[in-house]
Order: sequence, then structure tokens, then C-alpha cells
Amino acid sequence: MPGKRRRVVLEDVSLRVERGELVYLVGPTGSGKSSLLKLLYMEMQPDSGVVRVADYRSDRIKPSETPFLRRSLGIVFQDFQLLPDRSVFDNVAFAQYVTGHRGKAVKSKVMHVLSRVGLSHKLRQYPHQLSGGEQQRVVIARAIINDPWIILADEPTGNLDPTVAEEIQRLLIGLHRSGMTVVMATHDYRLVRSFPARTLAVMNRRIVEVDPSSLSG
Amino acid sequence: MLPYSIKEGLAGFRRASFSSVAATSAMTAALVMVGLFAIVTWQARGISEWLKQRVGEVELFLEDTSDTVAVSLFERARSTPGVAQAEFISKERAQEIFRQEFGEEADIFFDGTFLPASIRVRVEPDYINADSLSVLVAEFASWNRVDEVVFNQALLTKVESNLRLISLIGISIGALVLLASVFLVANTIRLAIYARRLMIRTMKLVGATDGFIRKPFIVEGVIQGFLSSILALFLLWFIQRAAMAYVPQLEPLALPGVLVFSVVLTGSGCALGWMGSASAVGRFLKHISLH
Repeated sequence: MPGKRRRVVLEDVSLRVERGELVYLVGPTGSGKSSLLKLLYMEMQPDSGVVRVADYRSDRIKPSETPFLRRSLGIVFQDFQLLPDRSVFDNVAFAQYVTGHRGKAVKSKVMHVLSRVGLSHKLRQYPHQLSGGEQQRVVIARAIINDPWIILADEPTGNLDPTVAEEIQRLLIGLHRSGMTVVMATHDYRLVRSFPARTLAVMNRRIVEVDPSSLSG
Repeated sequence: MLPYSIKEGLAGFRRASFSSVAATSAMTAALVMVGLFAIVTWQARGISEWLKQRVGEVELFLEDTSDTVAVSLFERARSTPGVAQAEFISKERAQEIFRQEFGEEADIFFDGTFLPASIRVRVEPDYINADSLSVLVAEFASWNRVDEVVFNQALLTKVESNLRLISLIGISIGALVLLASVFLVANTIRLAIYARRLMIRTMKLVGATDGFIRKPFIVEGVIQGFLSSILALFLLWFIQRAAMAYVPQLEPLALPGVLVFSVVLTGSGCALGWMGSASAVGRFLKHISLH
């Protein structure tokens, strides 16, 4: 795969995620979990082979179509990437505005997703006034406000203490149970064991399916 | 209700006040430099026109001839293409001038045939160069009853070559000033955009198109450019006033000129802001990674 230092990260990988599925990507740091997610939101292109997400194919997608692919994805990172100069409400509404939504519908949608992540009482607060867990909830609210059918979460609990991490995990599980597809990269095996689902280990450039209960560490 | 991109563009001033001030200051500095250069060029042009007109005078000395012939030669000179102005200097007038210039001692040198009648011709600015003047002088010299045609070719050639050199230096300095201004503005805007990378990244993350991301930055750039040009106009006005206090010979710009200059400078400011921000965001959008 292309990169600053060209090295092969994934090789001979074949993976299919069904709609409504919850999939964990596990593996040590640098194994290629994030690269796999980047292939899905098409920040990276494979050197060979094809990545297909909904109707978009990596070999056919035009640069002008990438934003429309991303509107059908909810992306959550470990470092929250909230805009520090905007309130919780504005951070979430931002995702609606930049995709062309306007008016009262935006407000009611924001209120809806904020209540879904349990933060409707903090809508006027700014990111620096929130705990790490709360900030991640805002990120999740922003990720789901455009009704994506898949959530790509890259170490969403990496910066959180175990109790808060579990709360965030419950939130993601809740979204999955409401019908969303969730693909989550993590190295928190405790969480994977607590909320077992299809688990794929990324190691030695390959992806292998593993039993979550067999994970240790 | 204001469109989202305009609202965001205006909000950019509040959200990133430091980088906005930096970009506006850089553009103001650039516009002041370019404006100063334009003013200096305009003033230098005035001086060069004046200088050229001084050396662009041709004197036609006439043979001893009747008034009728002299007048017809004067009319002919006046209607010759390239002649802006012609003045007939009769023998009597020549004597007067001689006396005025030499004072009481003029009579010692005075001799009736010594001072012929002449026609002093002032040439149009476009004709004031060594080649055109030589052609004109040759034509005057070919006329009957014209004894001698005099013009200061050596001085004209010197003035011309000096003006060429000064123009070349001026253009080089102007190009450097322009280049430095563009460089300064481009880098400041790039830094200002870099300071907002999180916002751009987030917009990309949630699926905003590149065109949508660009718009608020362009709006902000144009507003910054407009403000910069207003500031630059004030600064240039103060500088010109101060310079005129020291050098009273400097020619103030007439009102239509001031208006044209203001409109051009304001347009340049807006264009600078537009292009600077569009290119900086464009470059950034191409290279930014989401994570």
C-alpha cells in the first residue's frame, strides 16, 4: 500500500462485512488495523485488488465522490477531533451544515442524537469543559447524525479509563443493536471479551478470524 | 438569512482572530509596498516627461527674410506632425531676450545680423526620442530659408539612456516588491489555514465536498483583502501627505486618478485574498490526511 515509507501492510486480504454486523479488528500497534479502516473510508487505495463500500469501489471512485461515501460512514477516532471553539451543539450540528442541511430540522436532529448519547444536558458546553468520555460521546453523536449505515471506529476507547471505555463500548453496542454496522479497531481485549462479536486479528500482513474469548492481555 | 459559507467566513475572524490579523497585516503591507511603488512610478513618470520636454525643444534659425516668409514658415512648423507648440521669435524679440540675459554688457556684443529670427518648436511627448527628433530636424533643415536647426541631441540621448536605466531598475525593484508581497501573503495565509487544519479535517471527515470547504475560507480571504486595501489606502494617503510636506515639487494625484487608484488597489486586495486563500486551502485539501 502507498505510504511515506513504502512497506507492505496487508497482503492477500479478503474480507466481507455484512450489513448490521459488529466486527472487531484486533492486533498489536502498527499491525495495519488503522490502514484497513483507511481503505474503507478510502483515504488509502490498495496497490492491487478492490475495496467495495456500499456502491463505491476503490478502483472506480472519483475524488469528487469520496465526500459522498464519507456521508454514509460515521468515523470515530481515538483523539476526539472536536472543534474547540464550538459548543457541543455546534460540533454536532457542524456535520449537518457541511452536508447541506439547514433550518429547524438540524436542531431537532442534533437534540435527538445528543439524547441518544446521553449528552442533551451539555449542549451549550465546550469540549474543554467535558471529560474524555463525554467528548467521545459528542464525536459519536457527530458520527451518527447523518444516519450512516456503518461506523468505523479506530481505537475509540484508547484515551479513556476502563470504566468510561466500557460506557463508550456500551454506546457503540447500542448503535449496533439498532441496526448499524460497526467496525471497530481496538487493542483493548478486555472490552472484546466483555462484548463478544466477530473478531479479526490483523497480524503479519494477514487477517485471521479469532475467538474473542481466546484473546489475552 | 446569510448563506452558511458567508456566516462561517465572518465567524472565522472571531474564531481565529490572531491568524486573521496576521493575514490582514501581511496583505496590508503587500498592498502598501505595491501602492508605494505605483505612486513613485507615477511621480517618476511626471519628472521624466518634464525632463524630456525640456530637452525636446528644437530651434529653427531663419535666414534674413521677409516677415511674410517667416510667418509662413512658422505656420508650416506649427502644422508639422509631432509639433506640440511653436513660437516665433522675431529679430527684435531675440534682441530683447539677449539684453535680458546679458544685462548692461549686452551692447558690447550687440550686432544686428548676430541675432536672426527663429522658430522655437516644442515637440509632442511621443516624438521626444533621438530617432524621431532626427527625422523632424532633417525635415526642418530641408526647408528653404531655414539657416540652421538646433537641438540638444547629446543631452537628449543622455536623458533617454538614464531614463531607460532608471525604468529598468524601477521595474526590477517593482518585480521584487511584487514577488516579496505575494510570497509574504501566500505564506501568511498558508499558516492561517494551517492553524484551522482541524476544522478542515473535520469537514472532510463528515463528508463536506472540497468546494464547500473552500467557500468560507475564500469569503474570509476576500474580506481580509478588502480590509487590507482600505488600511493600505489610509497608510498611503498619510505617506503621500508626509512626503509632500518634505518635497513640495511632488504632484498630487487628481480626484479621478485617486478614484481609479483606490478602486484598483481595493480590487487587488480582494483578488489577493481570494487567490491566496483559494490556493492555500486547495493545497491543504490535496495533502491533508483525516488521521
